[in-house]
Amino acid sequence: METHGTVARLHGMLESRVISCTELTKAYLDAVGRDNAALNAYVKATPEAALETARRVDEKIAAGQPLAPLEGIPMTLKDNISTKGIETTCCSRMLRGYVPIYDATVWKVLKGQNAVLLGKTNMDEFAMGSTCENSCFGGAGNPRDPGRVAGGSSGGVAAAVAGNLAAYGLGSDTGGSIREPASFCGAVGFKPTYGAVSRYGLVAFASSFDQIGPIAQSVEDAALVYDAVARRDPMDPTSSGSRGAVSPALGKNVRGLKIGVPKEYFDGIRSDVAQALQKAAGLWRSLGAEFVELSMPSVRLGLPIYYILACAEASSNLGRYDGIRYGYCTPHYADRDEMVCRTRSEGFGPEVKRRILLGTYVLSAGYYDAYYKKAQNLRGAVVRAFDRAFGECDLMMTPTVPVTAFKKGRKTTDPVENYQTDICTVPVNIAGLPAVSLPCGAGRDGMPVGMQLIGPRFSETALLNAAFRYEQAAGEAPYRVDGMGVRL
Amino acid sequence: MVTKQDILKIAELAKLYVGPEELDGLTDELNKMIRFADEVATASAGETSFNTVNGLENVFREDAPRPCSGREEILKNAGSTEDGFFLVRRRR
Repeated sequence: METHGTVARLHGMLESRVISCTELTKAYLDAVGRDNAALNAYVKATPEAALETARRVDEKIAAGQPLAPLEGIPMTLKDNISTKGIETTCCSRMLRGYVPIYDATVWKVLKGQNAVLLGKTNMDEFAMGSTCENSCFGGAGNPRDPGRVAGGSSGGVAAAVAGNLAAYGLGSDTGGSIREPASFCGAVGFKPTYGAVSRYGLVAFASSFDQIGPIAQSVEDAALVYDAVARRDPMDPTSSGSRGAVSPALGKNVRGLKIGVPKEYFDGIRSDVAQALQKAAGLWRSLGAEFVELSMPSVRLGLPIYYILACAEASSNLGRYDGIRYGYCTPHYADRDEMVCRTRSEGFGPEVKRRILLGTYVLSAGYYDAYYKKAQNLRGAVVRAFDRAFGECDLMMTPTVPVTAFKKGRKTTDPVENYQTDICTVPVNIAGLPAVSLPCGAGRDGMPVGMQLIGPRFSETALLNAAFRYEQAAGEAPYRVDGMGVRL
Repeated sequence: MVTKQDILKIAELAKLYVGPEELDGLTDELNKMIRFADEVATASAGETSFNTVNGLENVFREDAPRPCSGREEILKNAGSTEDGFFLVRRRR
């Protein structure tokens, strides 16, 4: 009995009528009902809407109509992607009970293709975190070891996909929130070029960094989902769309491909993670790729640049939560000012408050030039460093995270310590580049190691093609945990 | 180094209420974050400009009316409303 449910396989099963869409959807809903207690991947299931969509797809199949690639495929959305009529909480007390009156563009597009939404998935509150433990619903477990974190912030999507509780999902990536949980759970996580996918309806965290992208069980699936959602959108003036469909172009050989290895990314990574990457490098060489050593000193400042700018943008974006128009409102207040302050203090969790405070500080009079403006300028330096580096190579290979998924409940009083998890992922967001994380072996604890491939802006086709070739050669996809989730 | 007074001032700007029981911990955490941010403040910037990551330029659309959500829908998520308006109650 096969346990994997890649988009490509499920599409074939539906078209050849091996299974009806209703049966398929029920199988996933049953699996969610059975296994979600261990993973806490889903924070809301949407069975009625899922079965209603499945019925429509079955009618199409019965009428002999062809199906679009994602039509009838059970999937999930991170809970910061707006879904009309379905609660969207960002896993924050602030938005519990909030029901959007419009759809995010990505969901509108997928809904138009009869994607079967099984439910909304867990995340760090307002996407701020790298473990998923900053969720008001409690963190998500890693399907490979539920005592370990799924990663974050899109931990629920990654856990659902790796745990066979969805064929694919859409997450968002501001500083690594798609790639890091994909790496921890052993799935493919793809963060497209900034602007390739519309952000309309994505609850804003840091608008100049935020980007929606897929988490999937294979590179091919990630490409299919990307192709479906990448488009210019009049509702998001920063969107620019895709430079052509990726999935039809997958399979080209990578002989002569120049892969840059920036040495700064390998400083301080755990030895077993480094070993897994070295082994991957051997496979790349056997495919005919060449390695180029690079030095990019400016990426060493990636973390502080990112945290200054992202927190500054967050402090402004989260200013909208005042308890008046939507979301939580405190019952205890004397005047309007106290109402707003108490609402925000009771509604936001500690990490969100810390980031708002840091953001407010770096934007405040007297500190703006030293922190915010300086970080913006250094952002420019990082952008140019990547542009120069891509003069010497076609793409780069780095670890996605310096470690593997750690045990839940890691206690620290130093928020900065937690930020170190993002050291390899944030430079990509600073420069607006596309990057994909795909599994490349395991660490000494048996947990998956992720390889990050970074490409120049709008190089989605070449980047995912290379990832696809590697995946084919490694022969490990589809990535999922046996014995968990749906059985087909 | 930020003091407790600074934290209270920043919190006021951010419209957050910081209780006396949170103040010590928060001051300590914020100082750690700011020390971290100081790596940027003390770095030499060298090249100095940044506009956008994808080189997009601003575009304007026609300033023409478009359909939008109705009043009832917009008010759906509000805690309290009256006569088609958001209601913020005055309390004594």
